[in-house]
Amino acid sequence: MNESVLLLSLASAVVIGTPILLAGLGEMMTEHSGVMNLGIEGMLLGGGVVGFWMSTQQASLPLAMAVGALVGALFALIHAYLAVTLRVNQIVSGLALVVTGTGFASFVGSLNDSSLIYARPVSKFEPVFGEAFRDLPVVGPLVLGHDWVVYMSWVLVAVAAFWLFRTRAGLALRAVGEDPATADTVGIPVGLTRYVYTMIGGAGAGMGGTYLMAGIFSTYQHGISAGLGWIAFALVIFAGWRPWRALVAAYVFGALRNLGFSLQILGVDIPPDVLNVFPFFLTIVALMVISARPAAARRFSAPSALTVPYARESR
Amino acid sequence: MSLSLGSRRLTVESRPVPSRLVRFLAPTFSVALAFVIGALILVATGQDPLLAYTEMIRKGFVGRLALTGTLIIATPLIFTGLAAVVSFRMKVWNIGAEGQFILGAVASSGVGLWVGDQVGGPLGIVLMLVAGALAGALFAALAALPRAYLNTDEVISTLMLNFVALGIMNYLIFSSFSFWRDPGRATFPVGKFVEDVLFLPRMVGRLHVGLIIALAFTVVIWWALRYTKWGFELMVTGDSPRAALYSGMRVDRKILSVLMVSGALAGLGGGIEVGGVLHNLDPRALSLGVGFTGIVVAALARLSPFGVIPVAILVASFSNAAPGLQVLGIPSEIVILLEGILFLCIVAGEWFLRNAIRVERTAGPAGAEAPAS
Repeated sequence: MNESVLLLSLASAVVIGTPILLAGLGEMMTEHSGVMNLGIEGMLLGGGVVGFWMSTQQASLPLAMAVGALVGALFALIHAYLAVTLRVNQIVSGLALVVTGTGFASFVGSLNDSSLIYARPVSKFEPVFGEAFRDLPVVGPLVLGHDWVVYMSWVLVAVAAFWLFRTRAGLALRAVGEDPATADTVGIPVGLTRYVYTMIGGAGAGMGGTYLMAGIFSTYQHGISAGLGWIAFALVIFAGWRPWRALVAAYVFGALRNLGFSLQILGVDIPPDVLNVFPFFLTIVALMVISARPAAARRFSAPSALTVPYARESR
Repeated sequence: MSLSLGSRRLTVESRPVPSRLVRFLAPTFSVALAFVIGALILVATGQDPLLAYTEMIRKGFVGRLALTGTLIIATPLIFTGLAAVVSFRMKVWNIGAEGQFILGAVASSGVGLWVGDQVGGPLGIVLMLVAGALAGALFAALAALPRAYLNTDEVISTLMLNFVALGIMNYLIFSSFSFWRDPGRATFPVGKFVEDVLFLPRMVGRLHVGLIIALAFTVVIWWALRYTKWGFELMVTGDSPRAALYSGMRVDRKILSVLMVSGALAGLGGGIEVGGVLHNLDPRALSLGVGFTGIVVAALARLSPFGVIPVAILVASFSNAAPGLQVLGIPSEIVILLEGILFLCIVAGEWFLRNAIRVERTAGPAGAEAPAS
């Protein structure tokens, strides 16, 4: 019986880890271009609430996810304009975006006497594989029991890893994030690159938010994200800006979210408030360990030009 | 950067020192723009923007109750705003005011419960506030020490520590029978209340002396930044860490002291919120983002200590007016959205302080050849 509890909690770790992974992967691409967007929580809520609304209005779930991604990207566009074109402090702009996105979601959720809060998605995210596959021991619930969003996130991880480290476009992206002046010299459009990847980051957050509301909870509540956007931000650092590590770390963070419940069944009582702290605590420890060791710091540190605005004229 | 429009050419050039007029016009225009965007959203969702705005001004500022309510909400924002000013001036980014504020509240409520009514009002209150400031400073040190000696990025570590603090506070009230939790209430967990003698004295209505303490600290920070060696070294280190290092300043100690002073201010804000308003450790009331908002407040105040006060009051008036809007059938959540739009617009408007747009008449009528170069 203990094994089945463990298995179930690992399977749900994959599910809750998925919005963290989608938002974190997006932020990772953004940060590789040298832009730090602290506004994930806002984009996740803002994009998610529109995606969720679509899912309650007869829209197919892929369409709802796409709309959520689009709205998230539009929120990110605001940050891109402020950070890239106007070159304002990215911390301030990102935090302002958190307030705007959160306010937007709460406002939309409260319109028409909070009808959105009582609305439910018209369809559910169904498992991709048949029951015969899902009943297989271990791999059934862990690997084959998920809906398409989980598998899409795996594909996105692979695409991101390939894109970043195996393609010319990825090289250009990293050049913009590491040394924009040099990238500019060889003809890479620094501003455009930063705009595009900042918006990709917003799209990831918007998808994550939509999946959270329309998929995992099937409902909208104010503050439903409960800091998931911040966990996604921590994920990028914890994963050392590497997509495959983000995949593993997202499920570790996901497991910590609902480990409390399964541990309780096993007779171990660790309160959820303590477990919720772990992703952030682990990230601080990882950060300190990495920054204390120069060899590790070279491999797993942030892009050099992260948060540094680029102005050709003041080169 | 330049753009040609017919016979005119628009050139953007950087402006070393913004004129007085621009310093006034840029934020005014930004605020106006934010309200126009807000009005469009309200109209689009079938609300009356004029009604909403008059109500926001009325419930935020008009009358004793509205004004004192706004000032009560502004008080913690002034503290977290000052915390951000101090660290941002040195270009050390403490974005952990949220967590330092929370731990300040934890420590001061803990000390308040511990002393009870044994030491009397004034001493007890002072002990509570000192505990709050100390806790904030020590919590900031958790990020400041690695920053100073391991070069660990303080943006990330201070940000992460916010959520550690939140977890600690939630644990103390919701997940344990700690010293802070009222054992009498098992079903709906709340924090134990401190004795009445430990309440901050009130001035007008519910307005407590915390505001005066906030104003006093604003003056102290302004003076320290402007007239002390500490403030001078802070500015130099902010402008050029290398120059500071070569001139013999201990940059590592500077980072440590600045981050801890910043944390102390936020922690003191938490202590004052407990002593003046809450009187217990109330996780719901203490996790409304006061620390994060303080950072934006500081930025909008252009990192001027005195600038923090009006911006904090403006932001606070929004929150204070929210329940009034709900009564009129306008979702009170609009104020958070408006606040966000206002932040974004003002941040964007700062661009005009640094850049000027010059309109030049190019020689000859439109379509004529450009002058030979």
